[in-house]
Amino acid sequence: MKAPARPPFRARLRAWLRPPRTLSVTKMGRTYLVVTFGVGLGALNTGNNLLYLLLGLLLSMVVVSGVLSERCLRDLTVRRVGADAAFAREPFPYRWAVSRKAGHGFALTLAEDLSPLAGLGSLGHLPPGTEVVVRADLAAPHRGPVRLSGVRVTTTWPLGLFAKTRVFSLEGTLLVYPRRGYACREPGAAESGPMGETGSPRHQDGTGDVAGLRELAPGEDARRIHWRKSAAAGRLLKVEREREERRTWKLALDAGLTGEALERRCEEVAAQAHQLLDAGHEVGLKLPEHTLRPAAGAGQERRILQALAWVGFEDADPGAKDGQEREAA
Amino acid sequence: MTRPLRLRLVLRDLAAGAAFGAMAVSGQLPVWALAVFLLTLVLALCNVRLVARHARLSALLLLVAAVLLGLQLTSGAMNAVVAACSFAGLIAAQRMLSAPDGAADGQTHLTGLLMVAGGAALSGDMTYALCLIAFGVLASLSLALGVVEAAVPDGEPVPVRAVLGPLSGGVAFAVAGAVAFFVLFPRLNWAMVGPRSAPGLGAASSAGFSNTVRLGGAGTIKSNPRVVLRATLTPDPGRDALDAYWVGRTYDTFDGQEWTNVIGALQTERQITLRPASDTLLHQRVELLPAYGGRTLIALESPSRLGNALAHTPTGTRNSTVQLQGGSEVRFTLTAPSYTYEAYSLPPDAKAVGSLALRQPEKDQLLALPEHLDPRVAQLAARVLQGEKEPLAAARKLIAYLQRDYAYTLELAGNSEDPLADFLFVRKAGHCEHFATALTVLLRTQGFSARLATGFFGGARLDGAYIVRAGDAHAWTHVLVPGRGFVTVDATPPSHRTSQASALLEKVLALYEAVEARWRNSVVDYSFRDQFELANALVRPPRQPAQASTRSSRLPPMRAWLTAAAVAFVVWRVGRFLARRQKRAPRMEATRFLDRVDAQLARARVPRFEGESLEDLTTRFARDGHPLALALVPLTRRYLEARFGGRALREGEAEHLLNTLRRALEAEAARRVPKAAEQAGPTARAS
Repeated sequence: MKAPARPPFRARLRAWLRPPRTLSVTKMGRTYLVVTFGVGLGALNTGNNLLYLLLGLLLSMVVVSGVLSERCLRDLTVRRVGADAAFAREPFPYRWAVSRKAGHGFALTLAEDLSPLAGLGSLGHLPPGTEVVVRADLAAPHRGPVRLSGVRVTTTWPLGLFAKTRVFSLEGTLLVYPRRGYACREPGAAESGPMGETGSPRHQDGTGDVAGLRELAPGEDARRIHWRKSAAAGRLLKVEREREERRTWKLALDAGLTGEALERRCEEVAAQAHQLLDAGHEVGLKLPEHTLRPAAGAGQERRILQALAWVGFEDADPGAKDGQEREAA
Repeated sequence: MTRPLRLRLVLRDLAAGAAFGAMAVSGQLPVWALAVFLLTLVLALCNVRLVARHARLSALLLLVAAVLLGLQLTSGAMNAVVAACSFAGLIAAQRMLSAPDGAADGQTHLTGLLMVAGGAALSGDMTYALCLIAFGVLASLSLALGVVEAAVPDGEPVPVRAVLGPLSGGVAFAVAGAVAFFVLFPRLNWAMVGPRSAPGLGAASSAGFSNTVRLGGAGTIKSNPRVVLRATLTPDPGRDALDAYWVGRTYDTFDGQEWTNVIGALQTERQITLRPASDTLLHQRVELLPAYGGRTLIALESPSRLGNALAHTPTGTRNSTVQLQGGSEVRFTLTAPSYTYEAYSLPPDAKAVGSLALRQPEKDQLLALPEHLDPRVAQLAARVLQGEKEPLAAARKLIAYLQRDYAYTLELAGNSEDPLADFLFVRKAGHCEHFATALTVLLRTQGFSARLATGFFGGARLDGAYIVRAGDAHAWTHVLVPGRGFVTVDATPPSHRTSQASALLEKVLALYEAVEARWRNSVVDYSFRDQFELANALVRPPRQPAQASTRSSRLPPMRAWLTAAAVAFVVWRVGRFLARRQKRAPRMEATRFLDRVDAQLARARVPRFEGESLEDLTTRFARDGHPLALALVPLTRRYLEARFGGRALREGEAEHLLNTLRRALEAEAARRVPKAAEQAGPTARAS
């Protein structure tokens, strides 16, 4: 799968040719314009001055709508806050920060421009001098890096007749992780070899929470002696701790997979990694081009998901790989 | 579905009410439509949505109403515009009572807009403008709150106060824009088909003329202050109170109870000539308003020609012919709420009065008396006149007698078999019809030809024209004087001839009429000619007469005001531009600060690479652990913040930073000198 390193030429040309503001007419606005046209025809046809007055008011309202919406979008500053984690084909929370130095903003709708991300966030009122974070539930159609060219801010203020849009040019990349679906296959056997204390015959118990005290048996590790309790009891007592069942898996993504098969495998590996890491095990990942060493915790899951998200997009824009840390992390 | 904002719904319903009011002020909507909508408005304001669960039933009822309206329309019982407006009101009512969702809101506003447009086709009243503005303001507020409410997340409050600020400015701008458009948009057609007037809501047309005048009853019309007639006179008398007789028709036959005419309809023309014309006729441009409610043309005594009439019907303005009736009455052949026409009358001081063309039956009736006239009437006349033979002198004697011995009253309860005898010998009090009848009959008993005339007396000046109220309705007598024709004589006491309405009410109505007249002249009758004159006045203002210019010289002319406003606007824009430039000053200040830092570093001979910026120098010093880095790091950071970060240097901060740098440079120089001396010492010793 080839990654779109840059937006296609038509998209870039369309972005270049795009006017600073775009205006679309809402459903109510269409009706309004039709009625205005009818009133204008009636005024011209009959010479009724009251119809001229009404026509003037209707047209002035159109002008006022344009002026107020322009004032609403002017002096606006938009910043991407981003998402904690974006998974393909499932809604994920996304945030933008909007502010303006002076004047109020009303009925703002924010969305990513020219991107496959679906969904938008809305903001009823933006007071002056305050940065407001707008939240939205977005959805990405597929995993991988999504190049973000700008943020589209739309307002229907003040009358809901027209939707005026301004696009803020903000380059960025959003890394969409594979969907963590249901894993049909087991992850396989855990990797053999010493794992923690389990390989030591002298260290039979674990390193978890305290399970109790018992008398130290011959040959057991003296470092386990609880000296204070032993002094109180008059015999050597050993601290027994719960044994941790942490094991290590190395998941692998087979080379040569493409298309839907690659997608399904990525989703399966992501689901397996999530299950194993959630159970406290260490998980590593073997990819065709590089390998992640086994580790546990949320950080390792993020690293695995990032690695899976980049599979098939290795030849993407090198800057995107650096930038994605900022957007997706 | 989230709960809609109550305020938005109230504003929406009030906007619909204002839109319906724009139609209702015309007074042409059927009463049932008014009742249904008012009930709906009350229910909607009480948040009772009756048809929210019965949408289909209400739609069916709407369909039935549409069919009924269509039947009325096809049968000719209802005007098409009125039917359409009534149906729009019903649709709005149905939408207002339905579940308040986005579709219902939009449809309510849309029907409101259609109702306002319908109101423009129905009414030309000034109250229409108030309804239009109220609709614009209320609907805008409702729409804006709806837009913001849709974007506010669930559970969060809608910022109503924040919305009102910018929106009120916008609506004010829209109203100003509407006025500007109205004034400037060229009128492409000369024909004014729009409604000039309508009966108005609750208007009682009570001043119309009937074919008979029956004596008796209370004179309630005398307390009616509504304006029925507006006339522009040429030449303009220039008086505030005209106190003139406006005659409508005369009556020649009295049967003891009521006055009638012997002759009916005569000829129908575009213009009727009652008397031969002369060069000094008084021209009147008369507008009969809806409160008049009759078809009889009114003109100042004594009318010569009447015609060129326009009937302002609900469907438009049409030319109307006029018909001559008996009693010198001229009627419109079309029935309409209001009319305009032209009339020419003999001037009040005209000595040679043209003879009125009377038919023989009319001439015969001028001396006719009722069959059962009380003999005391003739005896009374003979006793008062004492053998007076000259008609005008006889009339004056009788007038003096009646005004001296009889009282004026509007309270005449009950009916009398012989109202004239009742007035003359029992009550000895009556209103203008009693006085006029008594004078006419008394004159006839002594052989003087006379007849009863009805119309109005008065005429108050208003906005360059004269208005006549319904309360000015009056009756008087025409006495035939040989060689002069009919001469107007009036037995009613002078203080009771005009309207008897409350003075306060008359003042309030006069103010309203003044505004209404200005509205009618400036808006309803605004035309391409007015636009041309306005443009002409702006390009080449008319020269005031010397007297007028000296009188108004205290205030500058309009051009001066406009120029001052333009200059003030330019000054304001320049000031704003300069204020913005001053805001950019911190950047320049940061640059000057950088120059001073560079100068200090150069004076201290701090080693710098070619083209090395302050940031690079600071970075290099910090990396090398140079002692100057401690002073340069905060200085460089503040410079960058002031130059690019929008955080200007505070007052005195630049001096403080430069002093810190200067001390650091001096310390560095002092540190270098002993080091140099230390390095130089051993060398000297070695040498």
